[in-house]
Amino acid sequence: MNSLEYRKFVVLFFFLITAGVFSVRMFYMQIIDDKWKLRAEEISKYKMTTYPSRGIVYDRNGNKLIANETYYDIMMIEEEIKDFDTTLFCNTFKLSKEDLIRTYESMVEKQGKDKKGKSNYRKFKPYALISGLSSDEFSKIATELQKFPGFFENIRTLRKYPQNSGAHVLGYMNEVDGDILAKEAYYRMGDYIGRTGIENYYEVELRGQKGVQYLMKDARGNISGSQEESKYDTAAIPGRNLELTLDADLQTYGELLMKGKIGSIVAIEPSTGEILAFVSSPTYDPNLLIGKKIGKNFLMLQEDSLKPLFNRPLQAKYPPGSTFKLVTGLIGMEMGVVDSNRAFSCIKSLVNCHGHPTAMSMSDGVKYSCNPYFYQVMSRIVQQGKSRSIFKDSQLGLAEWYEYVKSFGLGQPLNIDLSGDIPGFIPDVEYYNKKYNSAWAFSTIYSISIGQGEVGVTPIQMANLACIMANRGYYFVPHLIKSIKGKDISERFKEKHYTKVRPEYFRPIVEGMYRVVHEPGGTARRARTEGLDVCGKTGTAQNPHGEDHSIFIAFAPKNNPKIAIAVYVENAGFGGTWAAPIASLMIEKYLTGEVKQEVKEKRILEKNFLIDPSIH
Amino acid sequence: MRKNETILDNIDWSLILLYFVLTILGLFNIYSASFNEEYPSIFSFSQEYGKQIIWIAISMFLGFIVLLLEKDVLWKYAYWFYGFCMFLLVAVLFTREINGARSWLGVGSMGIQPSEFAKLGTAIAISAYISGMNIKLQSQRSAFYANMIVVFPMLLILLQPDAGTFIVFTSFLWVFYREGISYDFILGSLLRLIPFVDHTRIKVGSNFIPLLVVSGILVVSTLLLSQSSIQLFGYALDGYWGLIVSIGVFLILALIVVRLTVMLRERKKLYYVLIVAAIASSSLVFAVNSVFGYLKSHQKERIELFLGLDEDPDGKDYNRNRAMAAVGSGGFFGKGYHEATLASPQQGHVPMQSTDFIFCTLAEEWGFVGGLIVLSLFIVLLFKIIQIAERQRSTFTRVFAYSVAVIIFYHLAINIGMTIGLAPVIGIPLPFFSYGGSSLMSFTMMLFVLAKLDSERKNVFR
Repeated sequence: MNSLEYRKFVVLFFFLITAGVFSVRMFYMQIIDDKWKLRAEEISKYKMTTYPSRGIVYDRNGNKLIANETYYDIMMIEEEIKDFDTTLFCNTFKLSKEDLIRTYESMVEKQGKDKKGKSNYRKFKPYALISGLSSDEFSKIATELQKFPGFFENIRTLRKYPQNSGAHVLGYMNEVDGDILAKEAYYRMGDYIGRTGIENYYEVELRGQKGVQYLMKDARGNISGSQEESKYDTAAIPGRNLELTLDADLQTYGELLMKGKIGSIVAIEPSTGEILAFVSSPTYDPNLLIGKKIGKNFLMLQEDSLKPLFNRPLQAKYPPGSTFKLVTGLIGMEMGVVDSNRAFSCIKSLVNCHGHPTAMSMSDGVKYSCNPYFYQVMSRIVQQGKSRSIFKDSQLGLAEWYEYVKSFGLGQPLNIDLSGDIPGFIPDVEYYNKKYNSAWAFSTIYSISIGQGEVGVTPIQMANLACIMANRGYYFVPHLIKSIKGKDISERFKEKHYTKVRPEYFRPIVEGMYRVVHEPGGTARRARTEGLDVCGKTGTAQNPHGEDHSIFIAFAPKNNPKIAIAVYVENAGFGGTWAAPIASLMIEKYLTGEVKQEVKEKRILEKNFLIDPSIH
Repeated sequence: MRKNETILDNIDWSLILLYFVLTILGLFNIYSASFNEEYPSIFSFSQEYGKQIIWIAISMFLGFIVLLLEKDVLWKYAYWFYGFCMFLLVAVLFTREINGARSWLGVGSMGIQPSEFAKLGTAIAISAYISGMNIKLQSQRSAFYANMIVVFPMLLILLQPDAGTFIVFTSFLWVFYREGISYDFILGSLLRLIPFVDHTRIKVGSNFIPLLVVSGILVVSTLLLSQSSIQLFGYALDGYWGLIVSIGVFLILALIVVRLTVMLRERKKLYYVLIVAAIASSSLVFAVNSVFGYLKSHQKERIELFLGLDEDPDGKDYNRNRAMAAVGSGGFFGKGYHEATLASPQQGHVPMQSTDFIFCTLAEEWGFVGGLIVLSLFIVLLFKIIQIAERQRSTFTRVFAYSVAVIIFYHLAINIGMTIGLAPVIGIPLPFFSYGGSSLMSFTMMLFVLAKLDSERKNVFR
């Protein structure tokens, strides 16, 4: 028996080696490897995000422009579905069986896959099967929903645009995509973000701050309590409400006037730079781009040949036409090459003109919109005789002119509080040197004197030019924000930008603008509105796309102006015919609150260039 | 030896102390594992922790009775007790099925599991048989009968069916190994069928037993780890490397231990044995893993099904996945008593957490430190029992002590092994820790019978 005693060591060794392997294994599982800790978190913890309500947007008079509306998502936890009656479900939600299968599959697909190519979809987790039911739609199926175990509703809010107007100002929201998820840590799959307009520019203010609740969940996936006495939970901070400078009534009226026309209206309060109306035509109902219908509707708008999604006031580049003569005249006087009493005869051999009496002064030149008059002003600006070489002389003159023009906010983005504004174009010496191989003189570039040729501006820049006229020499950066709840608006909107032309030179030009509207022989008699002292300037921009664009910029009243406006109607002919009366109706609407010029209004409302392209 | 010496003077109190420590730790662990907020007192007898107190009381009472027995009652009535246990094993087969098995006798929560007591009965019977053999052990007849004492209850248990207890009964192989019961007659009769082989020259004795068991364990662990991966020194390695590393670590430790404790002339042989064993087990792990890799998918599936492995952590592999997540999330010091988030009765993530998966609660709440302490306590207990076994002059007591040690060890290894993913999911209790009267009574009586037998070591000569 003694010979067997050593075997106790084998038995003990076996005990020890097992305990040793177990210890190593436990050490690895509990301390080195994080896999099981992560797995435990996944199983037992639930990080619930609480969503703040998005800020509401009002107009300058307290009318709601953007509100929140409650919507319902139908959620499902696959594991908890029992005795599923497909037919009843499809009838309740008005889906075909194929639709249901497709919806389910796309929901699973949306969750993505892990590194091994296995779906991240989990049968015990809730997912939104059907999203974006309205309160009405949901109330119809609310009782039915209880018949389907594993399905429940999740309340969500979406945007609503009660005025049905101002789409290009307000913008739209949609679900964040991979680009944004990669760039901005705040957003999670399924979040919505402002894509354009105010929704985009003031996204941070409007969205507020999401809150987090750390919760425990039990084996069945039910929330069973908070973690660590909610120590690390944070409450959601609601988004800030915004007050816009927009006048909802004026905006809606502007959109009404522009029905059947392509173009823009921008109206600004000159004393502050506050944008009162911002019409891009054709427009669309902003309510088209919310919730589940956004995909379909966006595609429809994108494919429309009239480009309703295109933000014309901000991004359309047009020649300014005769409105640019105001700038030419002002620069001429400031540079001292002409004075306000200077007469120029209407020499049609220089540049074509219409029949009118000789302009005896700057004011006359504006009133008659005499092309040769401003041709001659411009030729004196560009060719001052400072150099013996005509080319060199032109370069010196144009360079000086360029600096003046820039001070009018032209040729550069105004940086208003909507993203995407374009600079337009003001040609400079370098540009012409390149184009004409440095061999150019005034005779080469004369068409810029009357706002044709290479000069390109946006409607918002034109409205800003009207502001400069109204203010006699300065402007504020046009903006849409009036106030942000609990926060100041940007200081840059309160800063006066002076042009390089001294205020005294504006008097004869403004006088001319007044006479354009009020005196016989003025080009915009149709803009005349009793008692409102409208001052304006017409423009008729030749362009390669067909009929001339009808342009009018104006402000009113003459003294202490309350509104400055720019109207563009594409391919509508002479500025005084369409743009001027539209501008005057807008001015009347804003200043008096109602429109009494019914005949004028009727003529505009009835005109539809899209079905009847004739311009008279 | 003085006449007035009482049993209390001869009892090994360290064994009793270990029993108390483990039982009390077990009770407090159950108090956390099945805590019900509506019954906050540990003495709530409607709850598992209250009931466990009753079971502890009953067990200790039985243990006390055992201590008072006459010294030779046990081996006199050994076969009667064995027979009674076999009768219960047969009787239980005529009861109603609960959870797919017929294991319970009696009513409701106060029922007993005969299979738990059968281990004790078989241990006593095998001790009596081996110690009573006046013929040489190596004789075919006696080896055969010794085996039949174990095989008979195993067959009855297979009919219940109760795979866990069935496997536990194989622990008696270690007892046969220690007592030198030869299996040559079985091998010989098998080899007789092969021509040109002289079966009488085959002499393997019982040395193959540890090799067989260790190889079996290595094969099962390798297969269990085959689908996982581990991070070591910044490299992602296949799961079986964990075993190889463990073998390496253990080899180094064993070499150090041998150097410190074994006499110089014995060392060389032991070094040789250890290194060969390490190389052999590593090769086995490699071989099993690569063979498994070459298997066809349906063959793999069958093996995975047998081991309870499945890729679906929320489906078939739910129990193991939740148990391992609970253990792993414990970390070094654990989450604190009553602070488990997975192995918690309110959350219910770990199934059967007061019985089969009781170790999860311990490992999650007390972390690596707690798990290691309890594991060490068990190892100390096992060493203590082996120490007791080897100091006996009585063969009966030695065989019984070995039986108790290996039964406790198998429970320990399979129960903890399955919660840490090193053994297949087989439902057997962790001694003194799992909730349940039958197993607690059975293990208590094993230890107290052992203590009683040990206290007689000075006057029993058989």
